[in-house]
Amino acid sequence: MSLWRQVSRGLHVLSNRTAADQEVADEVQHYLDEATAVHVARGLSPGEARRAARLEMGNATVVREQVRDYGWESAVGTLWTDVRFAGRMLRKNPVFTLVVVLVISLGSGAVTTIFSAMNALLLRPLPGLADPARLVALQPTRPDGTVLQQGSYATYAYFRDHTHTLDGVAAWGRVSLTIASGGEGTAVMGSMVSGNYFDVLGVRPALGRFSAPDENRTPSSHPVIVFSHAFWKTRLGADRSAIGRTVTVNGHPFTVIGVAPNDFRGIYTGIQVDAWVPLMMQPLLRPRSDLTNSSWLWLFGRLPNGVTDSATQQELTALSQSRARDTGSLTASGTFGSIRVSSLTGLPNGEGGPMLGFMSLLLGAAGLVLLIAGVNVAAMLSARSLERGREMAVRAALGAGRLRLLRQLLTEILLLFLIGAVGGVIFAHVATDALERLPLPPNVPLSFELSPDFRVLVFALCVSLLTGLIFGLAPALKGARHDITSRLRADSPGSGTRRRLMSHTLIVGQLALSLVLLVAAGLFTRALVRGQQVDPGFDPAGVATASLEPEAWGYNESRSRAFYRDLRARVEALPGVTGVSFTGRLPLTNGSSFEDIEVAGATDVLVHFAKVGVDYFSVLRLPILQGRAFQPSDDERGPRVAVVNETLARRVWPDGDAIGRTFRFLGKPTTVVGIARDAKYATLNEATPPFAYFPISQEWQPAQTLLVRTASPPEQLGRAIQHEMLSIDPALPRPRVTTFRQASSIVLLPQRLAAIVTGVLGVVGLLLASVGLYGVMAYSANRRTREIGVRIALGAQPSNVLGLMVRDGMRLAALGILIGLALAAAATRLAAGFLFNVSPLDFVTFAGMSVVLLSVALLATYLPARRAAAVDPLSALRAE
Amino acid sequence: MDEPTTDLIQGTLDMLILKTLSLEPMHGFGISRRIEQISRGVFKVNPGSLLTAFQRLERAGLLDAEWRQTENARRAKFYTLTRAGRKQLEVETTEWTRRVSAVTRLLKAEG
Repeated sequence: MSLWRQVSRGLHVLSNRTAADQEVADEVQHYLDEATAVHVARGLSPGEARRAARLEMGNATVVREQVRDYGWESAVGTLWTDVRFAGRMLRKNPVFTLVVVLVISLGSGAVTTIFSAMNALLLRPLPGLADPARLVALQPTRPDGTVLQQGSYATYAYFRDHTHTLDGVAAWGRVSLTIASGGEGTAVMGSMVSGNYFDVLGVRPALGRFSAPDENRTPSSHPVIVFSHAFWKTRLGADRSAIGRTVTVNGHPFTVIGVAPNDFRGIYTGIQVDAWVPLMMQPLLRPRSDLTNSSWLWLFGRLPNGVTDSATQQELTALSQSRARDTGSLTASGTFGSIRVSSLTGLPNGEGGPMLGFMSLLLGAAGLVLLIAGVNVAAMLSARSLERGREMAVRAALGAGRLRLLRQLLTEILLLFLIGAVGGVIFAHVATDALERLPLPPNVPLSFELSPDFRVLVFALCVSLLTGLIFGLAPALKGARHDITSRLRADSPGSGTRRRLMSHTLIVGQLALSLVLLVAAGLFTRALVRGQQVDPGFDPAGVATASLEPEAWGYNESRSRAFYRDLRARVEALPGVTGVSFTGRLPLTNGSSFEDIEVAGATDVLVHFAKVGVDYFSVLRLPILQGRAFQPSDDERGPRVAVVNETLARRVWPDGDAIGRTFRFLGKPTTVVGIARDAKYATLNEATPPFAYFPISQEWQPAQTLLVRTASPPEQLGRAIQHEMLSIDPALPRPRVTTFRQASSIVLLPQRLAAIVTGVLGVVGLLLASVGLYGVMAYSANRRTREIGVRIALGAQPSNVLGLMVRDGMRLAALGILIGLALAAAATRLAAGFLFNVSPLDFVTFAGMSVVLLSVALLATYLPARRAAAVDPLSALRAE
Repeated sequence: MDEPTTDLIQGTLDMLILKTLSLEPMHGFGISRRIEQISRGVFKVNPGSLLTAFQRLERAGLLDAEWRQTENARRAKFYTLTRAGRKQLEVETTEWTRRVSAVTRLLKAEG
């Protein structure tokens, strides 16, 4: 009750300060009146009585102030006065304010941008879910500790029916969908989901309904589809009557039953899902997957209140073991030791770790910029506190206590940092927009929403205020120093070496930190260049690609085969095309397939493999060293054959007689017909694995990537290829045709991103540091005008003076570079994993960046030095 | 001449205000005068401390305040003891009595 009174009365007073003051004044006045009345009653004249009453009370104003100062709201009032005063001081010096705010905005903006991206990718709970903290991902884990990302439908069903520690278990799988409602189809990212998927997530439909659990019992029975809000708006014209309409999904009629809420786009942040269909529709939509036993589903559940991860983990692990006993056998994909229960994040399971490492690296780089900005601001503030020495001394002389002055100065500084934080958030908003628009590899279905949210705002504010406290406290303390007489007397500000030492330290610090950034940017750029120069073992230039998914168009196997035959013939006939082939997996896209092969008389070998079409090797110019490449007769009717790489041939048949030998792949005997040169397969820095190629017509896979070698630039083929496809089947979605280089650019994505981000940060840091250096040099040139005048008057040449000043600046720069090199050498080791074979201590980068910094520093010293050297000795001496 | 006055003992002002108000609602000057009269001029109340004490006690929920006419037709802020104030007065009185008797015993033992 009394706390309530404290708060409400305080707020009341704050909201109406004048009325509250008046009430206090009235009460004091009444007190005086009564006292006067008593004196009159004792026989004094009214005048004397009033005088007596006043004497008794003392100073009425002091009494009023005393009463008024009571309560927390008066502290708020003082703070408000301070803030208003600070605002006035900052307005009085707009250039200073603008520059400081800009510098803070740059620093805080850099950190906020990276944090904003980090927040969106790693920290932010998934949008649109109810109580996301209680959602957990369930991941089967092999006995050796490898986390299998996905589980089978059988696993899901068993957990769903037996768990007591979860409020619900749901499952979903990815599916490519082609949506058509008459005319050309649209390819969208879809999810096949269990009946309780939306329930467990706690998502409510924006329109219509979601599929009911009983629509998810019998395979192929309920062709219903739910669209994302975005799809409904752009493709269905935001039409409410779309509910109940029939659309064609992968060639089958489906009924639209609902629209998801605006912010819900599936479970993974980077993959924006546009349509959800019941899991039980899988035989129609993804006919080649084995619904029950193959592991293609992501599982998650909702923890009830008071149940911990570990309790669930124990239960599910026990369940999976008892299920293994029940079924008696364990399929290869069903072998797992335990179930890992971890909170459901917006990242595919297991990608959080590396991503966090990478983002922390970038955050660290941005932190350096903030540090530079902070140091820069500290230098400006302490220069200004000297300028304001007189003002402070006058205020101290008028009775302001040291604490009062300190509070006032800190309020001013924190206000600057607060405005800087706002600037930083605006800056981050612009920068994340730019980041979102960075071209991503076309075959990566990623799109991100990185812009700052409330959490980022709080972060920016806290970081900025903390920086303000750290870098503002020293200048504020200095400003509030209480040696009135000396400061009132001293005419020229800031004599003495202490001040010079301080500003020099700050400059050296800035230069050192910006060198660290420059070195990082240089290393990432070198890594990027190095990566682009890595010989992949084949010729990726002049190849156009398009990834095709006939299953998503409702094609069965024979129709797909016919389609690919037809497409090959048509594209081969296009002008400029010199070769056409297909592959089940595009090389250099970070992914790989692998399987054990059985070799008679030897242990099994884990082999990475790709299924490829005829002419694959000639289209990619990947040389066959022995034997032959695939030919049209290697089809489903012919004997099973394989081409192996040198590493596999050497490993299994070290005598060099691999051609003609057989091994078993997926249980089927396969004959080696050729040896291909070793190449890069998944990434550019992999160790060459044993690798095998199989004819895709013998190991059929409907999803294939078209490869076209052309004599003309591959970019120009897009339209023609699209035209050929649509003339085969006008209902197909328009394929995205890109060059091989674009399609495989994901292998260098981390380097590219890091190079861009650290490059921008490095330039900002260098700019801040050089402006700082310029400021210090200009200030010292100004202060030494008289000394320089004397020197020139005594016969020094302007070039001597120039040399003197430049030497001073260069000494600072050299010290900064030395410290920066040492710091960089310590820091770049953290990035070693992203650098391809570029050494974290790469000499070229370290030397080159030192030269860059030195040249910029030279410029920043030369300009003020030149002005100083041009001083007219007469006027310089007269000025005193 | 007036008798010499004594400053209030630290911390007793609140108790004296509560005690005075337990008889009837009163305004600031009334309370001050009552304390002086009953203490026969031993205690003289500083108006600043008194008015600040009202703020404090009111915030703590021990007093309620209200502007009313006085008998001589002036507008004054009248303070009333709340239920919590009454309880607080009891607590403080007991505590005070306990202390005073302890101090008295000590002084007597000394003598």
